[in-house]
Amino acid sequence: LVLNSLVKPGSKPPTTPVKLKKVSTFQEFESNTSDAWDLGDDDDELLAIAAENLNTEVVMETAHKVIQNHSKLQEQHKFQEEHLQEEKLEEFAQLTSVACGDNRLVKSISEGHTSSSSDNASESSSMQRSQSLPQTSTPPLVSGMADYTTSVTPALTEREASRLDKFKQLLAGPYTDLGELRKLSWSGIPKRVRPIAWKLLSGYLPANVDRRESTLQRKRKEYFAFVEQYYDSRNDENHQDTYRQIHIDIPRMSPEVLRLQPKVTEIFERILFIWAIRHPASGYVQGINDLVTPFFVVFVCEYIEEEEVENFDVSSLPEEVLQNIEADSYWCMSKLLDGIQDNYTFAQPGIQKKVKMLEELVSRIDEQVHRHLDQHEVKYLQFAFRWMNNLLMREVPLRCTIRLWDTYQ
Amino acid sequence: MQKHNQKEHLYKLLVIGDLGVGKTSIIKRYVHQNFSPHYRATIGVDFALKVLNWDAETVVRLQLWDIAGQERFGNMTRVYYREAMGAFIVFDVTRPATFEAVTKWKEDLDSKLVLPNGKPVPTVLLANKCDQGIDVLMNNGIKMDQFCKENGFVGWFETSAKENININEASRCLVKHIIASESDPVQSIEPDIIKPHLNSSKIVSCSACFKS
Repeated sequence: LVLNSLVKPGSKPPTTPVKLKKVSTFQEFESNTSDAWDLGDDDDELLAIAAENLNTEVVMETAHKVIQNHSKLQEQHKFQEEHLQEEKLEEFAQLTSVACGDNRLVKSISEGHTSSSSDNASESSSMQRSQSLPQTSTPPLVSGMADYTTSVTPALTEREASRLDKFKQLLAGPYTDLGELRKLSWSGIPKRVRPIAWKLLSGYLPANVDRRESTLQRKRKEYFAFVEQYYDSRNDENHQDTYRQIHIDIPRMSPEVLRLQPKVTEIFERILFIWAIRHPASGYVQGINDLVTPFFVVFVCEYIEEEEVENFDVSSLPEEVLQNIEADSYWCMSKLLDGIQDNYTFAQPGIQKKVKMLEELVSRIDEQVHRHLDQHEVKYLQFAFRWMNNLLMREVPLRCTIRLWDTYQ
Repeated sequence: MQKHNQKEHLYKLLVIGDLGVGKTSIIKRYVHQNFSPHYRATIGVDFALKVLNWDAETVVRLQLWDIAGQERFGNMTRVYYREAMGAFIVFDVTRPATFEAVTKWKEDLDSKLVLPNGKPVPTVLLANKCDQGIDVLMNNGIKMDQFCKENGFVGWFETSAKENININEASRCLVKHIIASESDPVQSIEPDIIKPHLNSSKIVSCSACFKS
């Protein structure tokens, strides 16, 4: 979570470092902080806390609940200190899976987790590994889009249904309270309302319901006016390098969703080229291309019933729909990049700063690891650069990125 | 680890050059003996390890640093370069602009990295994608030799990661220079761009020099 807050691309990046300086130990910081994936009975309280953006006073209260939750889990493991490693692996699996925003998945993992730790405490550690890990963490992590898309299947749990209702109420207006929406989104946005929620949270759509449709029309027109105005210049001498770079990079993107369809390639090239020449301070930088994908995929989902986005033939959508998706993706990506532009200006100071913050965090959380890296002269920049540069797009499956962005927004 | 009088060397090698010239493909070919047209763009840096049984007494471990091609990093390349013993600079024979960038990469390298004896690290130039048959280089072999001499490359090779051409040879050439520069730290090494006897079985080394 700490890392999430650090790389949080959107609003108020300074809050976290400031808080970091105030607290003297990591323990203190940790106890002031709630996890976005802690879905419990006190979910709403946690959300309220989260929404305060690490406001110390408010967080303190319920932070104890978080700690209690954690220590409950930990107690179950007290008997099996020797299985410490499995425990950590499981916790990791839990975290990553929960981060994927599929509530059913969360439940199944927690159950698997408890049963394997209490009932089978006497089982050998190798058994435990083979039981818990492959069944819980691995399949959802590798199954990619399929899993992410199936979260709309009609069989919503009661909890999911009530969450969806809350979202729908908020979105219905007449004015959507963005603070409330952000609070609610912290622990994941239901797939059906994700497109509109993202557009609102990024600042692309106005809170006023009556103005939304006209705004969409205006912005979409504006984007295609840019295309009209600039796109022919891609072969001009001063722009051809930019265009060529984009052109080379698109087939080399991550992850492998939709990207090889000629229609998708065209759209991505236009979005990235227009953005690059309208932002000469940074221009196109490798990694920015990855940031289009989540928007594009989420906005495609707005128009299709298919379960599998991965194998969906984008060219089967009407031209007008594709144009809407393209313009919306452009504007939302622009909004995201507005908040992190120094990640991509010369020498990428934003990335360097974030890598530095990571280093400082690790040195506080786990001095042993920090010292180990230091002894072997491993620089954080060598392994963490990509994490920051591509907002973890290369490190986690797309559906997890999408879930993470629910929280970032 | 050492058997009898076997010596073991660990060398950090850099692989640099403009984006999309095939740095990752060359490394994958060299280390994993395969090729895919679908590698993802390298962000930051990636690593690979290659072990060479150099001769009866010597094992050489090469730690290959695959550095992202986008020239944006400013001081970041400094972090990646440190303590490297040798380098490949790669360009794409089908894109002249990537050849023009070669001198920029060489300057960047030499300005940020020198050997303990103060000399620049041995660097081999790779003209990649030579299988494409669109050799747009106006240079013939002689001119390339001249270019290498003027710019301080110890050799150059036409390579293809796709067809597995000359990659092992280029690496042996570089390692040979590194070993020589280690054992004889004071004297400078003559460029061996016209000595095609690195690999006794085939005439492969720097054969490109004599093409066309």
